[in-house]
Amino acid sequence: MVTSASMQHDEKGALALAARGVTKRFPGVVANDQVNFDLARGEVHTLLGENGAGKSTLASVLCGLYRPEAGQVVRDGKEIRLNSPRDGLAHGIAMVHQHFRLVDRFTVAENVVLGHKSLSFVLATAEIEAKVAAITEEFGLPLDPRAVVGELSAGERQRVEIVKALYQGAEILLLDEPTALLAPPEVEKLFSTVRAMTHVGKSVVFVSHKLGEVVDISDRITVMRGGRVTGSVRRGEADVRRLAELMVGREINIVPRRAKSQVGDVLLSASQVHLERDGAAMLTDINLEVRGGEIVGVAGVAGNGQRDLAEVIAGLRTPQQGNVTVCGTPTAGHGARGARRAGLAYVPEDRLGTGLAPSMSIRDNLLLTRERNFLVDRKSALHEAETFIKQLEIKTPGPLTPTRKLSGGNAQKVLLARELFAVSGARVLVVCSPTRGLDVGAVETVHALLDEARDAGKAI
Amino acid sequence: MIVLGRRIQMEQRMAVPKSAVVIVPVVSVIAALVVGGVFLALTGHPPVRTYLDLLDNGYTSFYGITDTLGLATPLICTGLAAAFAFRMNLYSIGQEGQMYLGMIGGAWAGIVLADSLPPLIAVPSVLLFGALAGAAWIAVPAFLRARLGTSEIVSTLLLNYVALNLVNYFIFGSQGFFRDPTTSFPQGRAVADSARLSPLSFFTEKSTNTYPTFFVAVLLAVMLFWFMRVSNYGYETAVYADSPNTARYAGMSSAWLQSSVLLVSGALAGVGGAMYVVGPAGKVDPGLLQVGLGYAGIVVAALARYNFLAVVLAAVLFAGLRTGGNALQVSNDPVPIAIAVVLQGAVLLFALGGELFRRNKVTLVRVQKATT
Repeated sequence: MVTSASMQHDEKGALALAARGVTKRFPGVVANDQVNFDLARGEVHTLLGENGAGKSTLASVLCGLYRPEAGQVVRDGKEIRLNSPRDGLAHGIAMVHQHFRLVDRFTVAENVVLGHKSLSFVLATAEIEAKVAAITEEFGLPLDPRAVVGELSAGERQRVEIVKALYQGAEILLLDEPTALLAPPEVEKLFSTVRAMTHVGKSVVFVSHKLGEVVDISDRITVMRGGRVTGSVRRGEADVRRLAELMVGREINIVPRRAKSQVGDVLLSASQVHLERDGAAMLTDINLEVRGGEIVGVAGVAGNGQRDLAEVIAGLRTPQQGNVTVCGTPTAGHGARGARRAGLAYVPEDRLGTGLAPSMSIRDNLLLTRERNFLVDRKSALHEAETFIKQLEIKTPGPLTPTRKLSGGNAQKVLLARELFAVSGARVLVVCSPTRGLDVGAVETVHALLDEARDAGKAI
Repeated sequence: MIVLGRRIQMEQRMAVPKSAVVIVPVVSVIAALVVGGVFLALTGHPPVRTYLDLLDNGYTSFYGITDTLGLATPLICTGLAAAFAFRMNLYSIGQEGQMYLGMIGGAWAGIVLADSLPPLIAVPSVLLFGALAGAAWIAVPAFLRARLGTSEIVSTLLLNYVALNLVNYFIFGSQGFFRDPTTSFPQGRAVADSARLSPLSFFTEKSTNTYPTFFVAVLLAVMLFWFMRVSNYGYETAVYADSPNTARYAGMSSAWLQSSVLLVSGALAGVGGAMYVVGPAGKVDPGLLQVGLGYAGIVVAALARYNFLAVVLAAVLFAGLRTGGNALQVSNDPVPIAIAVVLQGAVLLFALGGELFRRNKVTLVRVQKATT
């Protein structure tokens, strides 16, 4: 273990960028508390931590998006003041955000030059495209400069963002949760790009909460928790278990439990389900049976129909053929409410924006999938919200807080609590990627909740 | 480090402080008055005295306030109509036309039905038919929106012009049902006496331009406010407004929510037109076309930030500017009505601009040359 403070400009290269005692507050939280961080030339330095640990905040301070209340940003040994990301770019610092900032209707090349200062009145399209092509070549970022961004996959859009940063002359790239939206082969591609960049002396800050992958790519890993740096390790010293403990601040159990539970009757069955959407077959002849006390996983690369299957079971889509039965009641074609009445609960992949109404309070969100009468019973929902907050240790100022202000893990707790312990007493659960985007601690909670539901005889 | 100058910096507020909710609108109105004052001074009118006159003629004198409340009555309805739709992110701007149709529908009921009915039934039936006519006028845009996703902005706006010409046709273009048969002067056929309310006197001997419908409008606002808070319907529209995906996930029908909200919005604007029949007009009166109370309803809804109770206050504020401005025109030192319109525009601009200050923390920062 080496602490961050004792890390000096090491042999790998001169110090490229550093944060000294950076403090950044948001109303109610200290997102960064006296944080020190440094980055050498040609280095991949990972910021690891749970959601809300302050990693993205630190990265945003480093690229000029946020101004810290205290502390300095040092570039090549001199203190710099960054008032905007544009100032950051002027110093060769660029950030690739988790949520892309691209114009869907523009081509790759147009997006790359977007916001670039030295644009002539008439775009020298051919020249720009040639330059973009050269960058994609050099760093192994396969992209067609003429493709329209709206038609690209998440991985390709990310490459556009990286190309854009490089085009603008970035020497230091801050990648905020770059793998969150990528499939495994795309992650590999991203890693080789990162290596190509460090090879020519560029530095990369890699913000992530995924333990497994950061060990491969990083030269150094700095762990943050609750706005502070809790430790820093070099390549080779990294031990997944140790890093995980630094992240959550306590011993954790990474391997999910596989408890033996009593398997009961078939509660959910789908037979010969066939779904077409916009003329394309999304699901073909799907058969599925889930018994009480059993968790059945449906796996596959995103976009292969898991979501459609979940929506068919949840009654949101009506299949062209086939039957879905929940607790003995056929539900296909009876809509989402029909499926719920039959005893189904559904946790969609998209938490905020589908599973929860983001601007509404925790209390009001608990009402969402209940049977509601003419008048809404907010009193009991308030009581329920208070109970959940206490039992599941949901971190929030109170039951009237809008769910969009919760961290991903806490929002998922609200959603799961509603679907698992709903007053209606659902016996069949459909849960989509429940741990996506969550940190280790929250993943553990989600697994524990699902195990508990399974042990209670529910079909998942 | 070299100070180059100052620059305005904005940061989104995480939580809106309670004080900003009060201070920002007050400052907005004051700022609007200052801007209006500049125009007054430029046109050679003493700003302070003109404002005092405006205040007196619009709000504080007996006839001023009663005129204002009378004008505010249909304005509350169109304001509620706009707020009701805008809350659901449905930008219907057809309140003007729906209000005309409400006037036509209300007058029809007042002529045909009311004769045989006591006022206690006749007046509500005029309002009801006004509501139905207003809802009918938005039915096609509502259907197009809910089923085909057609922009309600365009369809409702265009129907305003159809409604406008319909009223003109009934009164000026034809000898039809709504035209007064007893005179060759182009005016509307009067509704039955039982379908009319007499103006309020407010315990004096004077006759005013405020009608009991004012209290009906206020009651509508209170009922809407309460209903949308406690009812399942209010809950579902709030979920839909926040996130249509979430509403779909919860099994709510977007077609039903969108079309019903638009229909209710149309009905509210229609009631406003019918109140004009029950109150001052007593007939289909093209005079309503001059006032623009439908479009003003959109402004009122925006000022009220779509809060139904605040719509009442905003409507009274707005109507007062109008009546006060009208009175200034005929005073000893006539101020052109354009100035009153400038003032209304300034109030709206500053109120909407004030939103920026409510949502963001705005600070002045020194721009320093970055030392590299």
